[in-house]
Amino acid sequence: MSIPGLGQLLPQPTASTTRIVALKRLSEWRFDASRSSSTGVKVRLISGTAERDGTELALNKTYTFVRTKSKILTWSGCTLEISGESEDYVTDFPVAEDSPMVSYLNLHFELQAQRKAAANATRRNRPGPRVMVCGPQNSGKTSLVRMLAALSTKMGGQPLVANLDPGEGLLSLPGTVSAAVFGNVMDIEEPAGGFGVGSTPSSGPSAVPVKLPIVYYFGREKVQDDVALWKDLTSKLASSVRAKFGEDDEVRSAGLVLDTPVATTNQSDIDSLVHAAREFAVNIVVVLGSARIESTLQQILGQEKTSFGEPISVIMLDQSEGVAARDNDFIKSIREASIKEYFFGDSKRTLSPSTQSVSFDDVAIFKTPDEEEGYETPPVGQVLEPAEITAGMSHWTLAVMDASVNDPPETIRQAPVIGFIAVADVDEDRRRLKILSPVTSRLGNKPLVWGRWPEPYINLLG
Amino acid sequence: MTDNAADVAEDYRQALEDLTINSRIEIATLTNIARENANHGLAITEVLQNHIKKVPPGRTLPALYVLDSVVKNVPTPYALYFGPKLYSVFMGAYTKVDNMTRRKMEEMLRTWKEPVPGSISSRPVFPPEHVQPIENALVAAHNAALAAQQNSYQGTQQLLRSARPSAPNRDTPTPPMARAPSHQAGPHSQQAFPGPNGQPQYHNDLAMAQQPYPVRPLSANMIPARAPPQAPPPAGPFYGHQQPAGRDAYGAPQPGISIDKLKDDIQHLIVAAKAEFAQDPLDISKQTRLKALLDLQTLIQRQDMPQDQLMVVKDKVAELAVNTRAPSAAPLSMPMPYAYAATPPVVVSQQPTPVPPVAVARPPPPAAAPPSAVSFDGLFGQGALATLLGGLQKPATPQTPVLHRPPPLAAAAAAAASPALATLTSAAVRATPPPPQRPVEPAAQPAVSSLSANPSALLAMLRQSGLLAAGAPAAGVAPAPPQPASSAAVGNISSLLSQARPFAAAPAPSGHGSGQLQAASLKQFRPQLIAQFHDDLGPPCTQCGRRFRADEQGRRKKTAHMDWHFRVHQRIAEAEKRGQHRSWYVDEMDWIKSREAIDVDYVAPDLGGSGNNSGDGDGDDGNQAGGDYYYAAGGSGGRADSSSARQPVGAKTNDKNSKKIHYIAVPDDPGVNTTCPICQERFEMKWLDEAQEWVWMDAVWVPASSSASSAGARPEQRRVYHATCHREVGGGSAAQQAHHFARATPEPVLGKRKAEDEFNSLRGGKLKMEGY
Repeated sequence: MSIPGLGQLLPQPTASTTRIVALKRLSEWRFDASRSSSTGVKVRLISGTAERDGTELALNKTYTFVRTKSKILTWSGCTLEISGESEDYVTDFPVAEDSPMVSYLNLHFELQAQRKAAANATRRNRPGPRVMVCGPQNSGKTSLVRMLAALSTKMGGQPLVANLDPGEGLLSLPGTVSAAVFGNVMDIEEPAGGFGVGSTPSSGPSAVPVKLPIVYYFGREKVQDDVALWKDLTSKLASSVRAKFGEDDEVRSAGLVLDTPVATTNQSDIDSLVHAAREFAVNIVVVLGSARIESTLQQILGQEKTSFGEPISVIMLDQSEGVAARDNDFIKSIREASIKEYFFGDSKRTLSPSTQSVSFDDVAIFKTPDEEEGYETPPVGQVLEPAEITAGMSHWTLAVMDASVNDPPETIRQAPVIGFIAVADVDEDRRRLKILSPVTSRLGNKPLVWGRWPEPYINLLG
Repeated sequence: MTDNAADVAEDYRQALEDLTINSRIEIATLTNIARENANHGLAITEVLQNHIKKVPPGRTLPALYVLDSVVKNVPTPYALYFGPKLYSVFMGAYTKVDNMTRRKMEEMLRTWKEPVPGSISSRPVFPPEHVQPIENALVAAHNAALAAQQNSYQGTQQLLRSARPSAPNRDTPTPPMARAPSHQAGPHSQQAFPGPNGQPQYHNDLAMAQQPYPVRPLSANMIPARAPPQAPPPAGPFYGHQQPAGRDAYGAPQPGISIDKLKDDIQHLIVAAKAEFAQDPLDISKQTRLKALLDLQTLIQRQDMPQDQLMVVKDKVAELAVNTRAPSAAPLSMPMPYAYAATPPVVVSQQPTPVPPVAVARPPPPAAAPPSAVSFDGLFGQGALATLLGGLQKPATPQTPVLHRPPPLAAAAAAAASPALATLTSAAVRATPPPPQRPVEPAAQPAVSSLSANPSALLAMLRQSGLLAAGAPAAGVAPAPPQPASSAAVGNISSLLSQARPFAAAPAPSGHGSGQLQAASLKQFRPQLIAQFHDDLGPPCTQCGRRFRADEQGRRKKTAHMDWHFRVHQRIAEAEKRGQHRSWYVDEMDWIKSREAIDVDYVAPDLGGSGNNSGDGDGDDGNQAGGDYYYAAGGSGGRADSSSARQPVGAKTNDKNSKKIHYIAVPDDPGVNTTCPICQERFEMKWLDEAQEWVWMDAVWVPASSSASSAGARPEQRRVYHATCHREVGGGSAAQQAHHFARATPEPVLGKRKAEDEFNSLRGGKLKMEGY
């Protein structure tokens, strides 16, 4: 009975047992599986309809969420079977109008109307709605972006999603800005709900259709770290998006949903948002939960017209009350997991990266010059300089750029990323680098760029 | 068929492991395999038995259906093999699965006591000596569960639960003829059951005889509903679950038919009982049982038992506890929820074809039968209901259709003032004038409450059945219901719903496409919008939740989509063996030109096969590296006529061929050239995982004559070239063609870079592989 130690075990938390959760109309089941072990929390939809950020759960299919804080929303009521550990609770909205989801949904149908108009327009050059979602930290920006995109996809559209927040990668590692067409269902089991790097193409099949992004490398966490570069990359991404609109009619009519960096009322943040809005010819600006940002943007953009001559609507919507505050540790763990996932895949798809050994002389690694006191921006022509390979480079991930080593630095810097490699080891004596590359083929003469963020965390090779 | 038993068993085991969902096609295939390998039946039996033991609970049911299908379709030898093991297999599975699955298993068990439907043999699927122990165990389990819940109802439950000859002390108070009326008298008569009676088995046997009726329609709904839409209807292994004759009895119950069927069933039981009796003539219980059966037969043949009495008896006996939670004071209430509860939940969104109108237009259940207003709640308690399947009320309908009248609907129409359609629907459907508020117990009654608590599912079904034709005038057209009375009801409901629609639509959304958004307008809840991205889009895919419309085009898309799932499922298994890696992203041009290739992102094996490209000979067949892209490169050429789904696939195939990594196994022949005749560089030797051998990368065999194909050429007649070098100098017409295509396509996706990288690195010789 009382074997030492055994009697001390705490009773299993009730949350670990299988349980049934019945949700009423518009209710949300919010869960935090970030602390649970690798088993995560399993959710099965028994009846009704439910979705995660706009993507429906299939009936009777068990979804496993690991390292995830999110919510399952039902529009018309559902029953869920939950098993595994998670901190969770249900948010009810007896008065439908209290739910911010209602306004998100109405926004979606407004966008649908514009999409339809764009599809039927006689002038084929005008794209569908371009929505920019902005707001302060933890206001649910990305969730809303995901929801708007998923709903559009569900109704048959192929919307473009672009992310300008280098703090979180969209189908890419952190430190990048990217865009992709979402023409098919998202992988809702991913921590990032389909926006994670796990949804990018690999050499094998994927149970959930993959998405193909265009990626540019910023190499910093915050826009303020290098506003000039961020603006350049934003313009670059915007021109790619414009070209995509011109090329693909389906995408053009579905328009764009734009995720933005965390915004405060700082002048520089507002400037960045305005820059993005202009570059992408945004015609709807959605501000979540900050009236001050909304009014500031309204003052600036409310008077403008897009390059297609449309007025710009700036609207403020409530942020979802239950948005999980993601602390830095959690964000960091997500970030690290995404780097690992990029190379090694996830539980559903195991990937085998290749380890290559290369001579110092055979790789061209660039970095942004160290900032000198007194210089806001480095002198022209000095945007990148060859980096000295030292042991300090160990465990960093470097971006492989789609350019040639002989290209001018400015070209390299703004070239799209074709992938990432991780520096596994630096042997300064033998002047050799051990690198982890996603694919087995050699790098050729692709330049590598060494950013300043995210900082290395582990030895990927253990 | 030269395989030995071990091989067959291993193959079968693997096939079973792929069976993760209740797919009728897969089950049919597995049945056919079992049939074809009947000579290895013992091995297959073994495998299937072990599989059922080992699979996780979620996949147990499909495995059991395989067993069911196999024994019904290939009774010899499988029924013989499985018979002795049946108890352990069944009970082993039963203990680990959830309640929903258990009920399905109970249904299946019931079918095992009958002959295979459509078969000329009158023998049951499994002889009683194999089925009975299971039933006994189940009854014991139920009793234990019930006893915990509701002591007072235990006896009744036991009685009604199943046929059980070996319950010597459980007597019934009344002789058979008197008993049926006593049921009608109401719940009170139930107390009389556990009294002394000389014919204990009679009732049980009756129960047994009744069971075929409730079971069939349910199974028929259940199994095809899960199967993919393109499933060929009957003739499958589950023809046993189709109910050609039975359905009449449910849709428009005809006493004659059901009596006949009843007689047949009793006849079978008598045969079985006789056999038992012959085996052990001294066993009193068997003797009694047989006598009871014969009595019953006589009774039925005289047909002096009123139909409604029969039905009432049948209701209970066959576990038709369809509720009646409504007090008998409100007999007309709640037709719809129960009708829906009658259908397994899975139908709501998975069944691609409209629900049979029979189910939708179901008139009220026995609740409404005034003379026999038996409250099963009273009998069993709520908890007991949870264990019963809702669909079983169907035989009860004959008594009640007449009672289904407009009044409650009119009352519900008053509720139509509610602007919320969803609310309205649930109100119209669920709430009733004197709301007999029963506690909703989702946990305890998933089958019932899940549906009744889900207005949108109801809406979906209404819509599918044509009742709610999205506001079209057709809304009033009832889908040819089986009974006039219920047809009237349907008409009422639909008109009610169509009336309701304007209400629901009243708060019109803000100006669509106006470009100006009003925060106030955005906040307004418009429930009618919800259907637009749920039910209006058709039922969702069972695997990923993507919705497909129910029209012709939607079905086509769904077929393609399910094919896609199937292939991906297969290829994932292959890819796991092969090893895979993250692909590079693409450059701007590729990205801009790429297209979302929805459900066509696969290359048909014959198109993508090797041998037609550049004569790259030996080792090429296994080369899949870079072969799986998900995006068709929409070249300028391809784009012009990309309307055909075929085009992108073809284009991609060509791309693929042109940018395959060429390699050959390192030749054994020492006479082969080790440097490329063109660039004079040595071939790079590398261990290639995909090929599982040492290869020369970027190398092709080229016949000495330089003709296009070298597949059959002998080594001494051909030389090895760098594929890139050879292509550059224009060797190989196929290669040239493919290359030309690649040129014509502005920027092929992904693979081009790969080839280029190979090229670069070969030339530059910058990086050395270290292997793994």
